[in-house]
Amino acid sequence: MKEELFVSGRDIPYIDPYLNIWHWEIPVYLFLGGLAAGIMFFAGYFTIMRKEKEMKATVVYAPFLVPFALVLGLIALFLDLKHQLYFWRLYTTIRFESPMSWGAWTLMLVTPLSMIWVASYMKEVFPRWDWKFKFLDKIIDFFIEYRKPMAWAMMILAVILGVYTGILLSAFNARPLWNTSILGPLFLVSGMSTGLAAIIWMSKSKYERKVLSRLDLIFIAVELFLIIHLFMGFLAASEVQIEAAQLFLGGEFTVIFWVFVIILGLIFPAILEILELRGFHIPIWIPSLLILIGGFMFRYVMVEAGQITRYLY
Amino acid sequence: METKTLTKKRANYINPYFGGILLGLLLIAVFYIAGRGLSATGALKLAVVAIVDTITPEHAENNPYYSKFLVNDGEHSLLFNWLVFGALGTFFGGMLSGAFHGRIGKLRIEKGPNISKKTRLFAAAIGGILFGVGSQFGRGCSSGAALSGTSAFSFGGLIVMALMFGVGYLFAYFFRKLWI
Repeated sequence: MKEELFVSGRDIPYIDPYLNIWHWEIPVYLFLGGLAAGIMFFAGYFTIMRKEKEMKATVVYAPFLVPFALVLGLIALFLDLKHQLYFWRLYTTIRFESPMSWGAWTLMLVTPLSMIWVASYMKEVFPRWDWKFKFLDKIIDFFIEYRKPMAWAMMILAVILGVYTGILLSAFNARPLWNTSILGPLFLVSGMSTGLAAIIWMSKSKYERKVLSRLDLIFIAVELFLIIHLFMGFLAASEVQIEAAQLFLGGEFTVIFWVFVIILGLIFPAILEILELRGFHIPIWIPSLLILIGGFMFRYVMVEAGQITRYLY
Repeated sequence: METKTLTKKRANYINPYFGGILLGLLLIAVFYIAGRGLSATGALKLAVVAIVDTITPEHAENNPYYSKFLVNDGEHSLLFNWLVFGALGTFFGGMLSGAFHGRIGKLRIEKGPNISKKTRLFAAAIGGILFGVGSQFGRGCSSGAALSGTSAFSFGGLIVMALMFGVGYLFAYFFRKLWI
């Protein structure tokens, strides 16, 4: 018998044999989203704790990065879209069961909020700043008065934003590496840590850096704890999950993950931060930069590796 | 009086004999882990090949020297090599040691007291070029040939080491003004 026509249900370009739809745009966005969430969370937290004076970089200066990070992240997301002109349709519906809907709406709230936060500190940072119009001055004064509620909103939305960057991936049921509930908290913690790293880099006050470094060490420890549990979970699960974990335990992502994410992105900066807290002189930008690079690499590796893992063979 | 200030300023290092023993132990560990000795210039060489390969892949392939280092398994870059990771580790390990011993300060150019920063950088560039050329003649630098080579009883490594330090000793007299 000579078959000439072959019919297969598996001819699905970009999805089978493995997913090939997400490239650099998604990890860039996940990284910037996490970074923004981290900075906003601590800006909100220290405002609520009435530490604005002691934590200037956290509350005032670092949030200036947030609108830029979010807008750049959104541009990356937009570039990734296939039907770019239809992006607005995300805003015609609210779906509680869809992480993308959560994310779209959170970003819709968080981006203007971060801009308002920055605007409310404009005159403090740039004393010569002039809003030109009287009504703008009045609006800004209104927001300055309501900074506390804004701080609360920022903190809550930052947590949602940070978790959502992970949930976005874990909602993919067909990708064993992503389909774990640890990913949400893990991305949140990692985002907080990158946010702290950015603030520490910007801060000039010794007291502030000390407080933030201590916090960062806790977040790094929690992150390592979650990563260990991620792999323990995989290795205790079914064959596809074990194979997903093997990508990092001897497979093709082993070196990039352990060297750049775990050692250079978490453990080494943690050692440097501990040394700094103990009074050794460490150029502060080095641990911060390493944490930021590690945070990006983590997302890049997770997105790349996750697309390869699958149930079907 | 002057010597006093000098010793005061001198950075903190461990005892050189102790450092030598540690280096030897490190070599044993490296032979055990990587199966080959240490190299410092190797990573830079690979970086050069990688740059050439990115800009003109054809030239890199046709060149008998570059082509030796190219990797075409479609999976890894030629920088996916223990030498590169070794160099990364050296950088960060050195930083850790500097932090421990309080050698890390502001970004600065270390130079002899009687030369300008420009002269120092110029001399460093010339020295670097000669070192690069020499390491290719000798099939290894002070790590590749002298340390790893002699630890494997390589006669070539021994000659490289003896001449490298011997000639350095001789020429030090002529270039002493760069440092004192």
